[in-house]
Amino acid sequence: MEEYIRSTLSQKIRGDGGWVEFVSFDGKTLTLLFRAECSKCIILDRCEKWIHDEILRDLGQDVEVRGIRKKPFFWDTVV
Amino acid sequence: MAFVKVVRRSMRPEEWTDLRYGWIKRALVKDRFEITGLEVRDAHQIAENQYIYDNDYRPLKQGDVYFTPDGSVFIRGSAKIPEELAGQKTYFMLHTAAEMLVKINGRYAGGIDPNRDRLPLAPFVREDGSFDLEIEAFNRSKPDDERNPDAMSSRGCRQIFTGAWIVTLREDLLKLFYDLTILLDIAKSDEFDEDYRTFLNRELNAALNLVDFDTWDGVDAALDYIEKHIYQNTDFRSSGNVALVGHSHLDLAYYWRRIHVVQKNARTVLIQMRLMDEYPDFHYAHTQPYAYELLKEYYPDLFDELKEKVKSGQFEPVGAMYVEPDCNLPSAESLIRQCLYGQQFYRREFGITVDSAWLPDVFGNSWILPQILKKSGVNYFVSNKMSTWNDTNRFPHNNFLWKGIDGSRIYACVPPTHFITWNMPSQIMENWNAYQDKETGGQTLSMFGYGDGGSGATEEMIEMMHRFDKLSVMPKTEHMRADEFLHRNFDGNRNLATWDGELYLEMHRGTFTTKSVLKAFNRRLEFKLRTAELLSVLRMKKGISYPYDVLTWAWKKLLLNQFHDILPGSHINPVFEDAVRDYEKVESVLDALIAGQTVSIPDHETDVPYLHDAFHFADGLDETGRRHAAPAAPSDLKPAARKSVRLFNPLNKARTGVTFIEDEEGDCIREGKAGYFARAALAPLSAGDVTLSASADTSWIRSSSASEGICVETPYYRATLNPDGSFASLFDRKLSREWTDGGFNKLHIYQDVPGMYDAWDILPNYKEVEYNWTVTEPLHATHCTGTVAEFTVKLATPSGSPWTMIIRFFRESPAIEVEHITDWNEKHRLVKASYGINALSRELVCDTSAGYIRRETHRNTTWQQARFEVCHHKWADFAEKDGGVALINEGKYGLGVEENGYSLSLLRSNIRPDVLSDIGHHDFCCLIVPHEGDHVDAHINDLAFEYNVPPVRTDAADVPELFSGCTFEPLYLESVKLSEDREHIVFRLSEQNGTRGQMKLPCTVTLTNMLEDPEGETDTLSWTPFEIITFEVPVGKI
Repeated sequence: MEEYIRSTLSQKIRGDGGWVEFVSFDGKTLTLLFRAECSKCIILDRCEKWIHDEILRDLGQDVEVRGIRKKPFFWDTVV
Repeated sequence: MAFVKVVRRSMRPEEWTDLRYGWIKRALVKDRFEITGLEVRDAHQIAENQYIYDNDYRPLKQGDVYFTPDGSVFIRGSAKIPEELAGQKTYFMLHTAAEMLVKINGRYAGGIDPNRDRLPLAPFVREDGSFDLEIEAFNRSKPDDERNPDAMSSRGCRQIFTGAWIVTLREDLLKLFYDLTILLDIAKSDEFDEDYRTFLNRELNAALNLVDFDTWDGVDAALDYIEKHIYQNTDFRSSGNVALVGHSHLDLAYYWRRIHVVQKNARTVLIQMRLMDEYPDFHYAHTQPYAYELLKEYYPDLFDELKEKVKSGQFEPVGAMYVEPDCNLPSAESLIRQCLYGQQFYRREFGITVDSAWLPDVFGNSWILPQILKKSGVNYFVSNKMSTWNDTNRFPHNNFLWKGIDGSRIYACVPPTHFITWNMPSQIMENWNAYQDKETGGQTLSMFGYGDGGSGATEEMIEMMHRFDKLSVMPKTEHMRADEFLHRNFDGNRNLATWDGELYLEMHRGTFTTKSVLKAFNRRLEFKLRTAELLSVLRMKKGISYPYDVLTWAWKKLLLNQFHDILPGSHINPVFEDAVRDYEKVESVLDALIAGQTVSIPDHETDVPYLHDAFHFADGLDETGRRHAAPAAPSDLKPAARKSVRLFNPLNKARTGVTFIEDEEGDCIREGKAGYFARAALAPLSAGDVTLSASADTSWIRSSSASEGICVETPYYRATLNPDGSFASLFDRKLSREWTDGGFNKLHIYQDVPGMYDAWDILPNYKEVEYNWTVTEPLHATHCTGTVAEFTVKLATPSGSPWTMIIRFFRESPAIEVEHITDWNEKHRLVKASYGINALSRELVCDTSAGYIRRETHRNTTWQQARFEVCHHKWADFAEKDGGVALINEGKYGLGVEENGYSLSLLRSNIRPDVLSDIGHHDFCCLIVPHEGDHVDAHINDLAFEYNVPPVRTDAADVPELFSGCTFEPLYLESVKLSEDREHIVFRLSEQNGTRGQMKLPCTVTLTNMLEDPEGETDTLSWTPFEIITFEVPVGKI
């Protein structure tokens, strides 16, 4: 799962100025860290759903995606 | 008594007007018919106009989520205009935050993006109203572009499809909408007179009271009321004269990769051309020949149409340079080639020489530019940032003359406001109010059109422009071509003030340092291109054909990557990877050319990004994401006792210094490669044998440990080195003087938190928080030969990034080299090496690549205070009349200006736009050169060339003579190349020491400008300080 996130999904997200990193996967819940532009995305839930669907299609696993936003200090006030 | 603030909770009249304005905006569509039966497929772009399709077409209907991160979509379908709309003006409408190129019945009908959601159907549908629809769509709006609220509300990688429609508009209501848009902007703007704004609020309310918002009756009456009561009112007056030029700023890479600019550019051009069809008086200025090249290659139909509009004068090519490059970091020759290849395209395709440099967004401008531009057919320079982005001083001019390092003068326009505006009255008034040359400069320039990622002018902007003349409170406005504005206001204007000096931007000072790898590549490849062209010319004398196409390809790749958001480092991670990939391809081609191999242009290949991983980066991966081999330890080396190599000196000056010569059997490791340090005494432009010696005679140096560090004695110095590698003392034995005063070669690591402009800025207070290094291995002697002695210290940052510094003393040179090696894994840190110098000077002398500039080191006024970090090229020098200390680098540009010296900026580690910026392995060197006299007496510039231009190995017993053995000294031979007409050899010479002189040439030559146009003949060259001279001779005459 970690390798799939790193080599496949994160590459696509970087193309739009976003950034995602693998945090953990316990067999059911996949925790991801969203940085850069993703950290302030107002529709991140759609992206999490896309990640869910991609994993289901490519790896055959039905996971729950839990995203953590990590904003840089200068965006701390940005909603 | 307690004070009770009265808060009005009831609706104000202005809010009531705003509400009704919103209702009008939402009611513009009269009839709408949904286009059903659409299909969509997903794709990922892997190169310019090359895709991997993720799936086949599937139905697309309202509510579906479409687009994926970094994805494109292709939409297709068919429809027919309903019979009930016959005779009415119909539009295709689709609302999206994405960027779309729309084809109707096989013809490019227009563009849809966050700034526009409809296009007219009539010109493209069949007679019966039917049409086929094809859409190429790209969801790459700049994510943090907050200029357009509509775009903000729907931004993101995954969009919800809200339907595609055939619509008609309430055309009368549209007129009212435009009237209200312009008038409400004035009513809300502090730029306008308060009495007039009160008047407007009252009269707009009265006009809207005439409208029935259920039936839309009364719209004509409201329009009539506005005409009579507002437009015809002349009680309120204003002054001013503003030229309005349509333009779209297009970053070739930024929050998107350059492969995506193919569509951004095509969409922008298409939209502007369709506006020209609709509004014959509309003109638009588009920059960057590279962008035109893209259009020609990938959208030839659009390019053909564009050529017609260039002929008609509506579409105006501006900006002579191939791209809008950074104008601090590229060398003089690079800037010349930007003009040469840019103008070459314009001449070939449009038959014009563009007379403007259009650089609205660049981060300051080098003093060498005026001469280069003037000699490249450019009379006008346009660049916005100094007026709107300076953080300390207000730049004092907008329309003025800029005097360059050599005395050349060019007309310069630094418009008072941003280069991206939406042509609102408030923006135009702000421009006029901020304009500082009202008495001398003529009109002021206001550019309008959305940008950064292209897009440009909109129908609304043009409609508003048509109303400006009706408003007495607006400055006089004229929509015109850029060249019309420049010619009319500058030509022959004797009142213009003159600015003599660089155009330093008091912001974005971090871009001299961010993405260190790109800077090093750029410097190295600039010189490799010079060497490759020189050798290719020499080989022509042996009958080997000049690799014109390959060298042109290599130059253009380098020039593209000098774009002002690539080389400065202000971009997302995939842009960095693309640039490194380009640089590697170019370097591989140039190395082969220099070695005399036959090379062809690399095929187009898919530009799939490398796999980077922040957390494995410092674990054996280099900056490019590739695994690097661990360098051998000096003790592992088995050097040959003595050997000789034949080397060619590509410089037109004799080499005198010690040079590192790569050799697998070498006795030293430098930047991960084995080799020898040797004194390569080579005549100019000549080959010679150089002895590489692995002598073990170390008697030339003595070192001893003392309580305060290590004492070293060489033929040149008695030095005391601290355990952290800094110098406690550097005593010059020949001059009998101490060179250090405070931290000398002292590493500093600072907190570096500039805020939003993370990659761009270093703030004036960067020294406030400094961290301590941990010395993990104190300085100690590590290697010594008969030529060089190395002392090594190992340090670590508080976060644990290892940093090795190797200090090299030489037997036959007073120069001292410092190599820095690190696996850098930091966030928001800036590393500098400071040099406190025991000399009394108020000036720091810095190389510009074509002469030197003096910067004051005191902080007397805000102008000096703001220049705390400056851009330099190969060297900087802090000296008295009798001597000083120069620092030569091989790819560093950022320099801190200190009262008693300077600090070289080595590395940063910002996280926006690229969270991985500069993380990884770095290995770079610089050279400390204490010297007698000033930098000219000490030949610092020549030494810097030696340090950056290595000799070339050759097997040839004789390298052919160039131009009868003429070495052109004391000028620097900037370039030797085959001319663009392929019939001449072009020589470019640069005076870099600030002197005049004359030289007899072996034969009569043709003097040319930098575009290689003949300008006269001579057999004697005369030059003035910092002049760049170009001439050519027929191929057979060299």
